[in-house]
Amino acid sequence: MNGGGADGDTVLQVDGIVTRFGATTVHDGVSFDVRRGQVVALIGGSGTGKSVLVREIIGLLRPSAGTVRLLGVDVWSSGVGELSRLRRRFGMLFQDGALFSSLTVAENIAVPFREHTALPADLIPPLVGFKLSLAGLPPETGEKMPAELSGGMRQRVALARALALEPEILFLDEPTSGLDPISARAFDRLVRVLSDALGLTVFIVTHDLDTLLSIVDRVIVLSGGRVIADGTVDEVERSGDPWVRDYFSARAPAGKKGN
Amino acid sequence: MGEASSWLQFESGNGTGVLRLRGVWRLSNLGAITGALQSATPEACDGIVLDGSGLEALDTAAGFILCRHLEGAGCAGSMMTLRGFDPRHEKLIDLVRQRMTCPPVAARASHRDALSRIGVATLDVLRMLRVHVGFVGVVASELLALLRRPKLFRFKETVSQFETICLDAIPIAALVTFLIGVVFAYLLGLQTQRYGANIFVVDGVGLAVCRELAPLLVAVIVAGRSGAAFTAQIGTMKVQEEIDAISVLGLSPVQVLVIPRLVAIMAALPLLVFVGDLAGLAGGMLVASWQLDISVPSFIERLHGVLPLSAPVVGLVKAPVFAAFIAMIACRMGMLVARDARSVGLNTTSTVVQSIVWVIVLDAVFAIVFQHLGI
Repeated sequence: MNGGGADGDTVLQVDGIVTRFGATTVHDGVSFDVRRGQVVALIGGSGTGKSVLVREIIGLLRPSAGTVRLLGVDVWSSGVGELSRLRRRFGMLFQDGALFSSLTVAENIAVPFREHTALPADLIPPLVGFKLSLAGLPPETGEKMPAELSGGMRQRVALARALALEPEILFLDEPTSGLDPISARAFDRLVRVLSDALGLTVFIVTHDLDTLLSIVDRVIVLSGGRVIADGTVDEVERSGDPWVRDYFSARAPAGKKGN
Repeated sequence: MGEASSWLQFESGNGTGVLRLRGVWRLSNLGAITGALQSATPEACDGIVLDGSGLEALDTAAGFILCRHLEGAGCAGSMMTLRGFDPRHEKLIDLVRQRMTCPPVAARASHRDALSRIGVATLDVLRMLRVHVGFVGVVASELLALLRRPKLFRFKETVSQFETICLDAIPIAALVTFLIGVVFAYLLGLQTQRYGANIFVVDGVGLAVCRELAPLLVAVIVAGRSGAAFTAQIGTMKVQEEIDAISVLGLSPVQVLVIPRLVAIMAALPLLVFVGDLAGLAGGMLVASWQLDISVPSFIERLHGVLPLSAPVVGLVKAPVFAAFIAMIACRMGMLVARDARSVGLNTTSTVVQSIVWVIVLDAVFAIVFQHLGI
């Protein structure tokens, strides 16, 4: 299943990832594939190395063993130039947005345009406005500094920046963890709409059950350093693993009370 | 058609036009696409058919530029018919058309003229002074509270600050004052040698090092070293809301953060100045014995005779005052940090600049005051 190289539909192949920090083994042979256009969620308890895995996939942290092929490029055996070209083809949204605090919102979104494209200068402002609107933000947000924004708006600006270079795959690291439920659901819907319309592959690290149930095509469960379940939400829920059962049952009482 | 034909082909016939799109409509080709679109401006648009059968790829940026161009030409919304598009591309165009009612958003262009810059900077300085005075009041009242309840004093924190401010700074303070002693004795020696007055180097080095050079240099080093550290530490805590957490726990941030640093630096600076005095004199001694044939014993004997006790004492008295100013400025600038990384950097820079300026201003004030007192 992993032998096919870069066939047209598989955008991400993670094969046998092992991660050790000193004596602690975080991942002990993690493997999975992601196909184009899917919205995939990676879940797992705290400390199971979800964020670490994402950092390894996008080339920020070298795994102790294993290979990552992202968009047909072997991330950990490619040179600096190849990696830099690859980085223009995916977007990453960090946990708290990671906006540049000394730049306005508009300047934040303009950074990828200025650094990585040869666009004529007069095309950038309209494009920045369009990206803001695509991320569901009013245009006057552009003049604000990141420190003046609420958490939900920061995430949307970060999304607009991550989408600037028209990525083929988008990584989201707990995008809704700091948001109120209403903003969180709106953010989820936005991601789904963009994924459907742009054919974008989305890889979400999340704790948020509602995200999982509303927009995700497929769930990968990480536990004890391995993938213990992989499939649609229903399939995973039925897998019978104790952690998965606890995870899904955490929702039930809250749901009853809420209605 | 020429170059335009590689991206699109436009046929206009009595009011209704057909725009055939071709090739890869992606962000990387956007410059060329924009150029090509200029040649395909329908006049008096009654309706336009977009034919996407030749389209290999389309992204939102290219879709946006296309829709914006057509809208600018008056072919808005319902007058546009899509034909032969890949379903994905059609979905994308729909999304773009929903979201495209947006004005351009430019990066800020805030170039003030010189006069208003001067005005803003002046107001900033005045505001800063006022804020500092207020902060001195707050710290003073917290110190009074400490006198009433000495148990509030954080001994451990103070000692650990003292270690980094004083002990860790001894090598650099000694090195710098030693070198200044060497340079000063060397230059002074060149002058005195001409008159055969070698021995007067001792008078000059002793007075200059103990009274002025050691206190000033050590204060500047501590301002750069510990002052910057105070601002950066407190500023980062501010960014991470640790200071709010301290307040919420019912503690006073001034008691927890400022007073230990203030006490530690006020105790540390005189000691460092003393180390500086010794190192500076040692530097002078070295040059005197090498270059001027003044042996170490005769250097010490002469020093004994000519250096009034008041000189090192003046130096040591100035030190805690310098220290208090450095600590107050550094802690206040740390508290003033806004919630972003840039502001930590700006405030740290500002701390070092303000501290050094104040140290020099105070030194001048001391010089005049001691002169009038006859010390």
